[in-house]
Amino acid sequence: MFVPDFFGQALNGLSYGVLLFLLSVGLTLIFGMLDVVNLAHGSFYMLGAYAGLATIAALGNFWIALVVAPLVVGAIGAVMERLALRPLYRRSPLDQVLLTFGFIYLFEDLVKWIWGGRIRSIPPPDLFSGSVTILGATIPSYRLFVIVFGFAMAVALWLLIERTRLGSIIRAGVFDAEMTAGMGINMPVVFTAVFAFGAALGGLSGVIAGPIQSASPPMGAGILVPALIVVVVGGLGSLKGSLAGSLIIGQAETFGKVWLPGASMMMIYLVMAAIVLLRPQGLFGRPLK
Amino acid sequence: MRVTRRAFLAGGSAAAASVVVGLWVSRSHAQGGPVKIGLVLPYTGVYAVLGESITQAMELVFARENWTVAGRKIEMIKEDDEMKPPVGVRKTEKLIDSDKVDILTGPVHSGILMGMRDKVHSSKTILIVSNAGADAISRERCSHWIFRTSFSNWQPNAPMGSWVAKNVTKEVFLTAPNYQAGKDQLGAFKETFVPAGGKIIAEDYPKLGETDYAPYLTKIKQSGAKAVYAFFSGTDAVNFVKQYDQFGLKGSIKLTGAGFLTEPDVLPAQSRSALGVITGHFYTPQLDNPVNKKFVADFKAKFGGKTPDGFACQGYDTAEVIVRALKAVGGNTQDKEKLVDAMAKTEFDSPRGRFRFDPKTHNVIQPFIYIREVREVTGGLDNVPIDKVADVRDPGTGCTLPT
Amino acid sequence: MKVKLLAFAVLTALVAVFPQFAGNYPVKLLQEILIWGIFAMSLDLLMGYAGMVSFGHSAFFGIGGYTAALLLAGSPGLLTGLVLPAAVSAVAALVIGFFSIRVSGVYFIMLTLAFSQMFYAVTFQAAWLGAEDGIVGVPRPRVLGVDLAQPASFHLYLLVVVGLAALFLWSVVRSPFGHVLRGIHDNETRMQAVGYAVDRYKLLAFVVAGVVAGLGGALYTQLVGSITPDAFLWTTSGEALLMVIIGGTGTLGGAMLGAAAFILLQSLVSSYTERWMTILGLTFILFVLFAPGGIVGALRGRIGLRA
Repeated sequence: MFVPDFFGQALNGLSYGVLLFLLSVGLTLIFGMLDVVNLAHGSFYMLGAYAGLATIAALGNFWIALVVAPLVVGAIGAVMERLALRPLYRRSPLDQVLLTFGFIYLFEDLVKWIWGGRIRSIPPPDLFSGSVTILGATIPSYRLFVIVFGFAMAVALWLLIERTRLGSIIRAGVFDAEMTAGMGINMPVVFTAVFAFGAALGGLSGVIAGPIQSASPPMGAGILVPALIVVVVGGLGSLKGSLAGSLIIGQAETFGKVWLPGASMMMIYLVMAAIVLLRPQGLFGRPLK
Repeated sequence: MRVTRRAFLAGGSAAAASVVVGLWVSRSHAQGGPVKIGLVLPYTGVYAVLGESITQAMELVFARENWTVAGRKIEMIKEDDEMKPPVGVRKTEKLIDSDKVDILTGPVHSGILMGMRDKVHSSKTILIVSNAGADAISRERCSHWIFRTSFSNWQPNAPMGSWVAKNVTKEVFLTAPNYQAGKDQLGAFKETFVPAGGKIIAEDYPKLGETDYAPYLTKIKQSGAKAVYAFFSGTDAVNFVKQYDQFGLKGSIKLTGAGFLTEPDVLPAQSRSALGVITGHFYTPQLDNPVNKKFVADFKAKFGGKTPDGFACQGYDTAEVIVRALKAVGGNTQDKEKLVDAMAKTEFDSPRGRFRFDPKTHNVIQPFIYIREVREVTGGLDNVPIDKVADVRDPGTGCTLPT
Repeated sequence: MKVKLLAFAVLTALVAVFPQFAGNYPVKLLQEILIWGIFAMSLDLLMGYAGMVSFGHSAFFGIGGYTAALLLAGSPGLLTGLVLPAAVSAVAALVIGFFSIRVSGVYFIMLTLAFSQMFYAVTFQAAWLGAEDGIVGVPRPRVLGVDLAQPASFHLYLLVVVGLAALFLWSVVRSPFGHVLRGIHDNETRMQAVGYAVDRYKLLAFVVAGVVAGLGGALYTQLVGSITPDAFLWTTSGEALLMVIIGGTGTLGGAMLGAAAFILLQSLVSSYTERWMTILGLTFILFVLFAPGGIVGALRGRIGLRA
């Protein structure tokens, strides 16, 4: 049965790739646009999952959690940026490394303190709790939802960045912060807003991934490196690149697991190494000087 | 004023000095002071719940004994090994060299166990392994000073091989994470599965810590196997079982595995996805014997309604062995040979059945490996025993119990 | 300069006599600090002086460690314990460096990270390397007829090797080569315009740092008697990075102080409370905000938000 075999796995690759995009888009924004080394991105993912858990426990509704969790994490991100990150913009990026590393430890332990260390799970919403068969290949309906949601998110973000005034302010600020400030835009507020937005996106991905994966306090560490890899492969600060990179890595990893199972531990690193060596600026990044 | 202050200082220091001397004197009069039990376990990270379970059960037993044995107080010194071998080794050194523990227990991580083995052996420190299942510790790397109350990776899997071949199907797809422990566990299964007429349709080893099993599940579906035998633990077990159900495989391809696939540390997160999964383990809180019934009730009462799991049973047995052996030698921890001897001979009724050590390997002889199925019971889901295999002992190949 | 030399001599003397009045565990902690310290110092050469932030430095620590583990089992001596591990690390650094130098900034970070993770994957899955449990039961070398299994001799041996490595790094940093590295860090284009073969200097710095890191790994294996794939994890590189930053990037000595701070925090705090991660995290955060130059910077008076 070659056709459903291949098609089924390609579908798996697509769902994995889109999930990867959702996991990393927040980092693309923060790292690529603000030039801030935020190693605590995995923590936002984790905080989102737990905010989602708490919302579902209180209100029993997955869709409300999908809205509430990102707002909560966005707020946390805003506070973190305003109090701890802002003083460091003028300092070396290594200081941001140490700071955000500290937040990783802090967030993980606080979550463990409040919720305990037990593994938890977010159940898929009733609407998408079964599986469908397309062309002989079976896929959980929730994953189809993730694919659609992911693409919709990509389009929405693109519209936001390219077609709105807020988007042009962000793009201008990234290009030349002083000039933009000179035009009367309050840059510190913009930075906080963008950081909070990136954090919210990270938190959103935590809820979305919840029904597929499990939630535990150390879960953030597992997605930090894949997210960084997507950002680098796609090209720093490029939304298009982030999407393209995730989709490519999604297929490479999936078919890697099918044909070269022994290499699955390092597949993502091989892909990244190859791309960085062949095209250092990533797929859609600005060419390096 | 001056006189008063000087007098006060003089009086104060005299009082302080006499208190210190008094304590020191009373200490040296006591039978060598408290018995120190060291615990090297993870208290942070995903496996912290295991560390907690084991510790809580030990506290249950010691509290029952009023934290005293043979006239000496019991002191538990807990060290977090963070599931990292460098940290685990460091903490082991601390407990042995600095705290001078009388008995060491732990760890969860087999890598840490292998890393601490030589230090324990050369310093002749008594170690009771309360979790790590590395087969080697009961085989070529066993030691006169090392006991194990938990299990060897071989034990829960070997009986499942012939059982699955006879009671489920002879066409099985095998899967486990791609590391030595995973391969060892499946290896034990194969040892009895194939001779019983079983056919291994295919084997797949996803990476440890895999979060997306989709490609493997699709392969399982295409393989034509009638059942899957899997070893996964922790977050891997949750992800695998959930996704197995989401892909609709449960109805057509029976899911079986080693007990860790559905233990209480992962069952709540798996929820209904785990219904019907069959696993092999030496324990389930559903066991119907008087010792277990009391254990479950006492544990729940002491720890806010929490049900004990296999890890707690390991902790319980570890503490029981310590208490009984110490009683047998009258609290004398100086004569280690006598203590080891007393431990090796320890026998008692444990929640899992009649507990004994194998004199050949110092590994526990599992009174039973229960075949359990996840079903709905009062209070939620649990592993209900549906069959059992008696007297499972590790082959202990290559073990000479060196001193 | 004289003050620095004096401080170095005093510290060395203190370390040498430490076992006389301290128990086994504190001595072990000190020895770990020395080893992680020299590893962090080699990273500081790369990061603080050449400006190449690497998240893959643990690759050489692991390579040195595994080489020593494999060879010491056969014939325990200086050749198998130090020389060959250093040589193998050098070759590895040459190869990895050759590819990594082509990119810089975050791409360099990610590429070096990828290489060390690949080593992790290979050692984790290789049965002949002990798979996930690594290699255990490694004997200590015999040096000049002395068996280093004896704690006192090992302590002296460790001190001598680490001390020599530290002095070596220090002399590299003060040499013309070191000055060129700093120039490259400041302004690579300018150095290139003036005529320096920038790539060759960067590669050499990478190799020197890699060799010392490999030495650190070999010493670690000798201290503990075992090595696991964890040595290759990007988090191991990350911890070394933290040590450098905490101590003060670009000060060399700071890396050793940072290693001490990190290891003491990690070991001692966790023995007292389960909330050690919160304490560690808060410490890092407050440290960054209020002690921008790291420990060395604080010693020199740089304290405060705006410093």
